[in-house]
Amino acid sequence: MANAAAPEPKENMGQPMPRIDGRLKVTGGARYPSDIRLKEPVYAALALSSIALGSISRFRLDAARAVAGVIDIFTHETLSDAIKEQVMMGQSEQAGYAASTIRPLQSASILHDGQIIAIVVADTFEAATEAARLVAPEYDARTPSATFGSDGVTIEEAAKISKKHEDPKIGDAEAALRTAEVKVDNRYSTPVQHHNPIELFTTSCIWDGPKLTIFEPSQTAHGLRFGVAQQLGMNPDDVHVVSSFIGGAFGSKGATTERTALIAAIAKKLDRPVKFVSSRADAFFVSTYRAETEQRVALAASRDGKLTALIHEGHEVTSRPDGYFVGGTDTTTRMYACPNISTKVSVVHADRKTPGFMRAPAEMPYMFVLESAMDELAETLGIDPVELRRINDTQIEPIKGLAFTSRSLMPCFDAAAAAFRWSERNRKPGAARDGDWLIGQGCATSCYPTMVAPATARVSLMPDGTAHVETAAQDVGTGTYTVVAQMAAERLGIDARHVKVTLGDSKLPPAPVSGGSNVTASVCSAVAKACDAINEKLRGSNSQNLAEQFRRLGVSELVEYAETVAPGASPEGIDQLYKGISALGGGPKLKDRIQYAFGAQFIEVAVHSRTREIRVRRMTGAFAAGRIMNTRTARSQLMGGMIGGIGSALLEATEIDRRYARYVNKNLADYEVPVNADIEALDVILVPETDDKVNAVGVKGVGELGIVGTAAAVANAVYNATGIRVRDLPIRLDALLT
Amino acid sequence: MTQFLKYVAGIQRRQMLYGTAATLAFLLVSRVVVARQKPVGKAAGGIAHEAGDKVDLVLDINGQERHLSLDGRTSLLDALRDHLDLTGSKKGCDHGQCGACTVHVDGRRVLSCLTLASMASGKKITTIEGLAGPDGGLHPMQAAFIEHDAFQCGYCTPGQIMSAVACVEEGHADDAAEIREYMSGNICRCAAYPNIVAAIEHAKVAMGRA
Amino acid sequence: MQPFAYTRAHSVKEAVEIIHATDKAPGSKAEGDAQTQFIAGGTTLIDLMKLHVVNPARLVDIGSIEAQREWSSVTADKHGLHLGAMASMAAVAEDKDVLRDYPVIAQSLQLAASAQLRNMASLGGNVLQRTRCPYFRDVSFTACNKRNPGSGCDALHGVNRQHAVLGGSDACIATYPGDFAQSLIALDASVHVAGAKGTRTFPFAELHRQPAETPHVETTLRPGELITGFIVPAAPWTRRSAYLKIRDRASYAFALASAAVALDMADGRVRQARIALGGLATVPWRAKDAEASLAGKPLDERSAAEAAEIAFSQANPREYNAFKVKLGKETLTRALLHVATMEI
Repeated sequence: MANAAAPEPKENMGQPMPRIDGRLKVTGGARYPSDIRLKEPVYAALALSSIALGSISRFRLDAARAVAGVIDIFTHETLSDAIKEQVMMGQSEQAGYAASTIRPLQSASILHDGQIIAIVVADTFEAATEAARLVAPEYDARTPSATFGSDGVTIEEAAKISKKHEDPKIGDAEAALRTAEVKVDNRYSTPVQHHNPIELFTTSCIWDGPKLTIFEPSQTAHGLRFGVAQQLGMNPDDVHVVSSFIGGAFGSKGATTERTALIAAIAKKLDRPVKFVSSRADAFFVSTYRAETEQRVALAASRDGKLTALIHEGHEVTSRPDGYFVGGTDTTTRMYACPNISTKVSVVHADRKTPGFMRAPAEMPYMFVLESAMDELAETLGIDPVELRRINDTQIEPIKGLAFTSRSLMPCFDAAAAAFRWSERNRKPGAARDGDWLIGQGCATSCYPTMVAPATARVSLMPDGTAHVETAAQDVGTGTYTVVAQMAAERLGIDARHVKVTLGDSKLPPAPVSGGSNVTASVCSAVAKACDAINEKLRGSNSQNLAEQFRRLGVSELVEYAETVAPGASPEGIDQLYKGISALGGGPKLKDRIQYAFGAQFIEVAVHSRTREIRVRRMTGAFAAGRIMNTRTARSQLMGGMIGGIGSALLEATEIDRRYARYVNKNLADYEVPVNADIEALDVILVPETDDKVNAVGVKGVGELGIVGTAAAVANAVYNATGIRVRDLPIRLDALLT
Repeated sequence: MTQFLKYVAGIQRRQMLYGTAATLAFLLVSRVVVARQKPVGKAAGGIAHEAGDKVDLVLDINGQERHLSLDGRTSLLDALRDHLDLTGSKKGCDHGQCGACTVHVDGRRVLSCLTLASMASGKKITTIEGLAGPDGGLHPMQAAFIEHDAFQCGYCTPGQIMSAVACVEEGHADDAAEIREYMSGNICRCAAYPNIVAAIEHAKVAMGRA
Repeated sequence: MQPFAYTRAHSVKEAVEIIHATDKAPGSKAEGDAQTQFIAGGTTLIDLMKLHVVNPARLVDIGSIEAQREWSSVTADKHGLHLGAMASMAAVAEDKDVLRDYPVIAQSLQLAASAQLRNMASLGGNVLQRTRCPYFRDVSFTACNKRNPGSGCDALHGVNRQHAVLGGSDACIATYPGDFAQSLIALDASVHVAGAKGTRTFPFAELHRQPAETPHVETTLRPGELITGFIVPAAPWTRRSAYLKIRDRASYAFALASAAVALDMADGRVRQARIALGGLATVPWRAKDAEASLAGKPLDERSAAEAAEIAFSQANPREYNAFKVKLGKETLTRALLHVATMEI
């Protein structure tokens, strides 16, 4: 029986080597940070605010303190000197690491629901969690502004917040829209989502004199090291972060969040190792979230299907103090040839926690909208949706006129359409049935900007043909351990099973954040360079026998450290990397080229004719992302992305009680994510593509590509099944019971 | 434990590479809970404690008797993880909503987060650490999970595997649709579901249940 | 979780005696505040204790009572089906007699929760599971009459997509979340209970109370009483029965709407219909008027739709759950048509 998990490599694809950390993961031997056993730890638990705006007038802590085993309770009254001002990650010219500038426990002020208001420390987990629930604050509460449409929100243009953002624009889109032969012009929305990795957010802190060790699942061991040092006013050399295994992240473990430095400060005060494991409800506040958006897209075209105008406006919610936004118009304006484009991204400040990045932060919500609109336009034009993409496909992006380094969008559409048997689709909405079920099929474009960051790695080759690769890069489940071993093995000409890989430790050579789908490209570039340097030293030796070559060189091992930056990027990026900053570059932000990975997704849904529940019957995704290091791990990532996309399309939403600006479904029973029964047939096609311009190893990355476009493909399939166009995610039966 | 020793050794080696003096050895547990010889049977029926008291328990875990003195509120999951260093069972929600904590109690898959340690006394508990053979040979389900890439981050994996083994043993792995339904109590946020189903279909042959 | 005393009971008699001896404040407060609680599978209780929603001073563990035969057995004879309250959901869902003669019961259990939870949860505990109303389950929301009598109801004007459209009051619209209870109520089951003063048996339909002005009082169980079993009478409709559950995801989810339907058909006409609705009401909801409307009629699109209209004639939707009226009707219609034509 063929193993679907291990696709046969095609051109420019690596072998489907099983994960080298597989055995540890299936035996329970992989030690995630909260699995590290500490000597006589004490346990921390959080008390969170139950108001979204106001301040704490006083605490009643008697009941909490009376709990047997409670050691201390920390509030702004006792810990307000602990945390220095911090800079947000990626939002400023300054070196920033934090998820937010909001500093809980530093004042009585409450700026959002679920803000940390106290941390209880006790001898046992049971005592700490009990006492945390007995912390009784008295509030001066004010009426909060929850979200779009709430009284008191303020709107700000993204371009005025950040120099990094410029609203893409060309021609006169409004004029072109007015005179268009065919147009669609609609509003859409996407909800609040939480990453909900199954691993909870955890932090263990241990002090040894001035030295702090942090065990925490993190997408950036170095970033967390510098972030905590910044917050505690410490020398970063005194902070050590260990994050060898990470139980899923999806963006939630990227920026330095509030609790880490607080736990560290408490551990110092108590002079005891402190262990913190959040509850699942806490997890909706401990990290960030994907903010809700409201968007308008207008598309105009001539009767032959050529786009004549694209208008894309997005509003995104953020906190009061922080202007966080994702701004997906950078991407949506690059998808298709179009002479007139106008865009605007704005943020809406509400009394909410600062949002953050979640898998395909900009592309998931913004491409849902563009690709839904493309389907609506195709329907209006009477043109097949695949053909509409073909008519408007381009190798030159329309805003700056830059050439894509490679763009295999239509090969992806063609491969997926053939496998899916798209030609058999009934184009008339509501026409296909299977018994009591309405059947619909839809498709959409996937894309993700190819980002690369500076990276470093150290490679050691031994005379026995074994090697050791060390880099601080994280494996959040993507397979970094495995592909790094494969890259070293390939370059050194040894068996990948003989390569030991050490990751996820801030004492290792720095590597970028596991975000933006950059790590395989960035880190493998550095590994390849170090291996090449080793090969250079071995050159000149004619012997095929490695041990003999080492004897000739008079060394017992060859160790090379290498640094790489993306083609054309500034070498200063390495300095930034050594300060915990990942200078991610690429996608649409380059001066001389534009680089994206592309894909196409086809989805068949069944909608019950009476009760209208929606079930996904089959999904086919075809993706081209440059070099594929390992077809097994790449397929899994793309598959996981597509299924995550099903969650976004049909299930996931954090519900807000608008009266209180509070979340209500803070658990995995009520924040529904897909379960096994939701996924029937799923087919991933890896489309060969070679791109030698994106980076030294030609890798584009596949971590986020799979989730982009899925929701639109589902929405388009639902339309095909029912004739009902749903423009608000998630699409649930409520909207179809007309 | 062996793996952890290896792991800590790895840290120390790296630290030497970097020339730092600190050692993480102090992080190591100072005591290893050793199985003592004492019959489980009778003690089991007589467990009782008053509010706030510690409870002395004997748990039969992976064929070993483990003696514990715990806060009476301690869940079986926390007993395993925080008191016995059996950290393979994972905490993903602590409320019976994800399946990451799945273990076998008296041969049936249950959620250790919603089981008080006291309630498990006198019963036979198997965790992921008890699944591989005594020689370290992988259970067919474990091997199939690797072969079919039935995980990414690996965090839900011990629960998935314990659930998958039970799914086959219960006779609920006849076809893919049945497997999907009976594995739906184990959430995989990386979404390896199709691979999990393939791994179970593969392993059930080796388990003699095909 | 707050500290509690823990005792294992070795017999039903001992269990109720312990409760009787230790429950200092019976009856006067919500069940959740009863000083002593039985614990069997723990799937509801441990969950709610961790949330500080339920804070018992003492747990009596009835999960290990040794003479478990009657207590956990499934027995079918010509009079009907006896289900021991300690039988697990999983065991009953897979019982051959239940599957053949009472499919609605097997399906309602099978479609609930997950394999692990079905292994753990007892039938007795299952019918007493508490609502999923987020304002009830989260003590940081202040207004919940069920949790804190007299405090109000945050759900009335809050996020109430999952809430009840039937049987609610201005004090509470929390949905009864279970599935199995609908099949019991549809099949005219009785419930056996044991208390310090002896045992009694009464119609299962009388077990749950609509919230009215006292949503904290959810059942008619007397203080310290323990459910020991259920009796489902044999009837001509039990074989022609099914449970239809509608939910957002395909498994491991509570019902947005569900229908337990049993029909006695003859010559293409309905002799008697039994209908219960779940996910839509504050209690397991018997739709008797809808049942009556079907008597003597052929079961077709028209009669099914009429019955559905009748079942929801008193529905009272709120801001986010208005869809449930339509969904409930469609669910019932679909279930009726399915059961009318199912092979038996």
